[in-house]
Amino acid sequence: MPEVRRLLPESTCRSDPASPARFTERGWDRAMERALSMDPDEIIADVKASGIKGRGGAAFPTGVKWESVKKALGDMRYVVMNADESELGTFKDRALLQQDPLGALVGVLIAAHAVDAQKAYCYIRGEYRQAEGRLKDALGTLRQLGWVGPNGVDIEIRRGAGAYIAGEETALLNSIEGKRAEPRVKPPFPTNQGLWGRPTLIQNVETLANVAVLLAHDVNWFKEYGSSDTSGTKLIGLSGHVRRPGVYEVPFGYPLANLLNDSDLGGGVAGSQRLGAILIGGAAGTFLSSDEINDSVLDYASLARYGANIGSGALMVFDDTVDLRWVLRKLARFFSDESCGQCVPCRIGTRRVLELIEHGGLTTRQDDLRELSQAMRDASICGLGQTAPVALLSLLDRPDLIQG
Amino acid sequence: MHTEQAAINVRVSALLEDLPKERSQLLPALWRVFEEYWLLEPEMIEAISNAMGVPYAEVYGVASFYALFDNPEGCRPIYVCTDVMCALRGSEDLLKSGQVGAKGTPVSIKGAPCLGYCDEAPALFDGKVTKTQVTQDALAQLIRGEKHA
Repeated sequence: MPEVRRLLPESTCRSDPASPARFTERGWDRAMERALSMDPDEIIADVKASGIKGRGGAAFPTGVKWESVKKALGDMRYVVMNADESELGTFKDRALLQQDPLGALVGVLIAAHAVDAQKAYCYIRGEYRQAEGRLKDALGTLRQLGWVGPNGVDIEIRRGAGAYIAGEETALLNSIEGKRAEPRVKPPFPTNQGLWGRPTLIQNVETLANVAVLLAHDVNWFKEYGSSDTSGTKLIGLSGHVRRPGVYEVPFGYPLANLLNDSDLGGGVAGSQRLGAILIGGAAGTFLSSDEINDSVLDYASLARYGANIGSGALMVFDDTVDLRWVLRKLARFFSDESCGQCVPCRIGTRRVLELIEHGGLTTRQDDLRELSQAMRDASICGLGQTAPVALLSLLDRPDLIQG
Repeated sequence: MHTEQAAINVRVSALLEDLPKERSQLLPALWRVFEEYWLLEPEMIEAISNAMGVPYAEVYGVASFYALFDNPEGCRPIYVCTDVMCALRGSEDLLKSGQVGAKGTPVSIKGAPCLGYCDEAPALFDGKVTKTQVTQDALAQLIRGEKHA
């Protein structure tokens, strides 16, 4: 099956990605006009009916989140686009913003209309300058077309400065407020108390782009692709030992093995040409063996059987020559460097995990590693500390993969 | 020292002139000053604190949180990604060769966590743009180019 093109523009799209021509070509004029002609509750009902789930990793039902923000009490509401994509192996938002920046911004405007927000922020990581430039140009186009500005929603682009933790939603809010990007304790959730204590809708770039394509069409059209559990398509960042690394859009329910091997997708395993394992979901993802890959499709329930998750859509492929203990050391270093240090289980835990792995603990201290992991999952303030040991545990559970 | 601080104050307040003097503009303010000096020393923090009306300790606390502002040498930084996918494609050797090549130049070569270009590894970020599928020769050229620029 050929790759789907909904969130990503058709390859025949030749207009400048941030231009007014592209805005029309992609149907965003239709999406905006439809959205503004609808009652906010109708939009929220459509988003719910479409089955869109958050694409940043948590897969929370998008319509439900919008409803919470709309119902929350507050004299001011905000929408935030999270483009602080800094998870190891994840680069799909960067590709989306470079290829079609207007879509996600249209999603921001629709969201703002639906939850009655007057101001929106797009927070993009500091290293994504080319994507930031595109976003800036696209914002200029929306201003020129009158969709953004004094009479509508005001959108401001914020550049991060090299902190993976700023992608955590409450840390991101602190960063926008001009504070250290340390996560807040939840609850209260941002839907109730976000930016400056006001109800705030924070969504991943790809989620907002999904909303834009939904409104440019309708719920039935949207659900033509996907599985019975999860409708729509997903952007996958394919990297490592495949012939054609890149960002691909495929429907939910797509067989993982086909993602790796189809000639218009991964194109087959590269390197030694023998598959060792994949790491799915990002740095806090799960290692899967080739048998597990052959038995899984791209959907939450299918992957949950192996304790795995689609996460942000990162799929890192390793041939059978890669020592996965080396990969694990890299991941452990990443988390210990990127821990913000605010809470003890994460600050000390990520460091101890790294030290244990560096000193052969993967074979000699497995019980200690599991116990430490449990403490981090139970007691860390945010997702970083809670999920940092996930990849480690997945490898401990698959001793066959460690033989290297 | 006194006059240096005065000069920095003048420069920084000019850089931040059109920014709303709100706490929420602190990160944009830090970026403007950092890209002017490639450095955030106490004098610059002091100047930002004065211009933005935010206490010195708060400005320092925020500035020191972010990795991209950590550049005490004040050289133009080039970040070579050393995370998994780039490392599989030789970025650790790339980093080493760059660090040797950059000795005595106004450029500093640093390792960085995942830059988000795993599909075009190895990647580097030169402080302004990201370059992909970087070879040792390309990095050497970049270092030399900076030197003559």
